[in-house]
Amino acid sequence: MTEDKIKNLIQKADRTAGGPVPISANLAAAVRRRANRRNIANLVVRVAAAAVVLFALGLWNYTAKKTRDQQKLVALEIQIKQLQIQTDATLNFIREVLDEERRQRRLNELQTQLASYSDPLEEIQKQVDKTAFILVYQANRMYRELDQKDSAIQAYNRVIELFPQSRWAEEARQTLSEIKNNQHNNSKGDLI
Amino acid sequence: MAKNLDDELLVGQFSRGDETAFDRIVEGYSADIAVLANRLLGWPGEVEDIVQEVLLAAFLGLKKFRCECSLKSWLFTITINKCRSYRYKQMLYLRFFSRAAVRASVLPAHDEGKAQMDDETFHKVRLAVQALPLKYREPVVLRYLQELSTDEIARILGISKNALQVRLSRARERLRQDLAELIG
Repeated sequence: MTEDKIKNLIQKADRTAGGPVPISANLAAAVRRRANRRNIANLVVRVAAAAVVLFALGLWNYTAKKTRDQQKLVALEIQIKQLQIQTDATLNFIREVLDEERRQRRLNELQTQLASYSDPLEEIQKQVDKTAFILVYQANRMYRELDQKDSAIQAYNRVIELFPQSRWAEEARQTLSEIKNNQHNNSKGDLI
Repeated sequence: MAKNLDDELLVGQFSRGDETAFDRIVEGYSADIAVLANRLLGWPGEVEDIVQEVLLAAFLGLKKFRCECSLKSWLFTITINKCRSYRYKQMLYLRFFSRAAVRASVLPAHDEGKAQMDDETFHKVRLAVQALPLKYREPVVLRYLQELSTDEIARILGISKNALQVRLSRARERLRQDLAELIG
């Protein structure tokens, strides 16, 4: 009973409220236009989304490539530095080996040279004798041929000083005494 | 059954690209959709936007319609969903821009002006129906104003018949309380 009363009330209230405003006659055409607009909008959105995705992918690819290149560059720089260090180390090693070889060769030469000498002391003595002879020879030339008495005396004295035990020192002493005698005789002659 | 056959025929023609089929659907159902939308939204009178929204959704989805229910039920389901969305958007909009406007939205301006001319009693009844929560208002409108069967209403609202009965019962109880002086 109550339900019927409620139903009646609602229906009467609905009737008194009036119906909806009449809808335009070309509703179907309006709906089609809206559907077309929506389809176009959807298409535009999809194309735009695809463009954005493509752009993002391109950007990502570009950035990734750039990063990869930079990483490669850094890796190459590190490799070059390592190669430089290795090369320097190798060069130093080669230099040391060459130096060592040179030293060894020189040592061998010296050893060979030393081995060629029958008696080293005798060889030294020969060389000393030879030097003393040369000095005496030069002093003789200065005294007898070039008339450079003072220089000759100095040279004889040096032979006596440097090689006192040699026979050339003895000859230098004799020549010096000869020079002194000559000087003495000449001074007497001058007095007479 | 004949109506269902007509529906199938129309949907078949539309699927084959016959645009006059849609014209016939609009011609046949737009008035019913407008009346339902008007009632669900609280008798604002101006419901062409909602009707267009409903028909647009139907136009875009008609090829997927399988004729498992009548075309009218399907269109009413869309109408109910569109009205819910519309009210929700309107509520958000008003809540966002003006709290005062929310109060005004309870009764549209159309009704306010008309209320003076309307009988005071029916104005109260409409207010009471509008004040019902959505889940009670929809069954009330479909049952007492659209006079659909319980099976059809349950299918349109996507609920069981028992749930529908419960909602109707609770809606009546609320209306009985709100309209006690009128019912007696």
